[in-house]
Amino acid sequence: MDAYDEGANARHGPDEPVGRSAPADQVLSVAASAEPLDQGPPLDQGLPPDQGLPPDQGPPLDQGPPVDPRSGIAALSLPGQIVVVLALAVVAVGVCVHLGMTFLHVAPTNTVTREHGKAVDDWIYPEFEQNWKLFAPNPLQQNISIQARAEVRDGEGGTVTTGWYDLSAEDGRAIDGNLLPSHTQQNELRRAWDFFLATHDTENRPVGLRGSLSETYLRRIVELRLDRDDAVRAATGGGGAVERVQVRSRTSNVPPPEWSREKVSTTPSYRELPWWPVPAAGAGGGAR
Amino acid sequence: MNRFSLAVSRGIARVTEAALGPYQTAVIRIGFSATWLLFLLRELPHRSELYGPDGPWSWGLAEQLIRANEAFTVLMWSDGRIWFEIVYALAILSSALLLLGWRTRTMSVVFMVGVLSLQNRSVFVGDGGDNVLHLMSVYLVFTRCAQVWSLDARRAARARAARERGERVTDRTGPALWCVSGFVLIAVTLAGRMEGDWLIPALLWTVWAAQALWWLAGRRATSGEPRILLDVVAGIVHNGALLVIMAEACLIYATAGWYKIQGSRWQDGTAVYYPLHLEYFSPWPALADLLSASGTLVMLVTYGTVLVQVAFPFTLFNRRVKNVLLALMITEHAVIAVVLGLPFFSLAMIAADAVFLPTSFLRRLGGWASRARDRLLRRGGRTPVPEQHAPESPETTHVGFGT
Repeated sequence: MDAYDEGANARHGPDEPVGRSAPADQVLSVAASAEPLDQGPPLDQGLPPDQGLPPDQGPPLDQGPPVDPRSGIAALSLPGQIVVVLALAVVAVGVCVHLGMTFLHVAPTNTVTREHGKAVDDWIYPEFEQNWKLFAPNPLQQNISIQARAEVRDGEGGTVTTGWYDLSAEDGRAIDGNLLPSHTQQNELRRAWDFFLATHDTENRPVGLRGSLSETYLRRIVELRLDRDDAVRAATGGGGAVERVQVRSRTSNVPPPEWSREKVSTTPSYRELPWWPVPAAGAGGGAR
Repeated sequence: MNRFSLAVSRGIARVTEAALGPYQTAVIRIGFSATWLLFLLRELPHRSELYGPDGPWSWGLAEQLIRANEAFTVLMWSDGRIWFEIVYALAILSSALLLLGWRTRTMSVVFMVGVLSLQNRSVFVGDGGDNVLHLMSVYLVFTRCAQVWSLDARRAARARAARERGERVTDRTGPALWCVSGFVLIAVTLAGRMEGDWLIPALLWTVWAAQALWWLAGRRATSGEPRILLDVVAGIVHNGALLVIMAEACLIYATAGWYKIQGSRWQDGTAVYYPLHLEYFSPWPALADLLSASGTLVMLVTYGTVLVQVAFPFTLFNRRVKNVLLALMITEHAVIAVVLGLPFFSLAMIAADAVFLPTSFLRRLGGWASRARDRLLRRGGRTPVPEQHAPESPETTHVGFGT
């Protein structure tokens, strides 16, 4: 059972920092100042002159009689042998340091990472970030549905509020019977919500740059989806424009299996965000 | 003491004399490039929404995030629609060419640029599968992953045969490709687009410079020595990268397993039931109900999953046990692909698992594949191509050494 992307545990492991749950997602606070300090990146430095030419990957072909290079270092002169030994040392050190850093990155916080966390982060971010807490420590046991509604100005200057659209249920229906679910159906909204939760406090106030980015992102997804659902037309019978949108989440426990004696409440709980104004067409996302 | 130093020198000889695991590296090259290729084709209708300049995660939002995290993406070079389409098309093309093993080193670099560019552009639409591809696309650049099952290997064999017949073989495509990539690199660097984290730009320049060296060594040298030297060093780098890839796969399983042990649901044996009943991971609800109908079965699968994940890295010390676990894990991922609706995640994980497949099995697989291809070609009225073998199988090297 590996498949799981984070997010699942973000809400479940009480002792985990929520913000770190996204797989390829970058942590700003750390990476912002990521000037590699004392170590080079893995395997790169001194990456000696190999990296062969794409044309010929195999043994050297351009020399008359087939010289077998794999007769090893013995065929080389002393300076050549020294180069090989140096290359071996550089690669060995690079591999060990990279694996050590990666290990510390995926390991729980410990004595070493408390002391040298900065060095580990400098090495790992931005390109080697990873998260393999797949469905761990516990799989997500709640269905979280993201719902949205819009306030639409109709043709005569009045405003109409639409009903709630269950966008996650739409995703769920799109995934049903689908051998190849798209990231737009399976990840986009779900992970945007995780991102929002990770960057907001319980009062729904954004924390830092990422907080405001996540709000704009979520709002733009909702606009796109409501537009696709044609909420505007449904509310006004054509014409009109969305002025504000509101998002809420509906969280309900997955009912325990029939063969289990467990009882959990299946009453859903809601988290309602404030209304967000929608900028006029064209002034959107790029601006802020 | 004597035994120890003998073992060390044997180890050193082994990693310096050949690029190990030709079949394993070829199979992961094919696996990862196929996964990414299929993903890009599947998302073709949704490409703008996921990665395009006007998607929900707009160019402006990405720009603010990337200015802070310095991740590498060529999509930030322009917010134009056409640039985005070009990058997406190049990502598809490079995956296909890497799959076939055409000019593999260069294609592996372009492949990496494609993966990093798209994924770093929209980090919030990915999942574990994207994460695997992200890392492996970087590691693949360091490997000689086209020693077998590739157009490069076929071309090398033909060139060798031609040379034995006394013909001159000149390669024009390689230098042309090198000039084009050099032109692009210089233009981009002069335009100041390579700012941000220095790792990926440095890697691009290093590979480019190394290719020039390789070409010069093959052409100019009167003795064969520079070419042999480069070949040995390339082998060492390859072997280091192969080790990193294998260790990365072990880290994935170890992390997934050890963190699960701490979870109450994995302890009480019900964990597997829950994902099967999440809206986002249940494409076949009836199948999920069937699979979780028996509490005992769910518990066995739950415990088995943790057991296999935790145990896997340790089983590498025993070939037979390792192969059994490998078969189990590949099967489980194949099931996950369908039951949880995660085909690309599963494909990426199966590709990563494949690095541990035994050479004998891979050669048999290659044999079946080439026979199937020949049958197809014969039906199409073309002559079959000879089967590709590694210049030297690792077994022979191993046995032959140390005497």
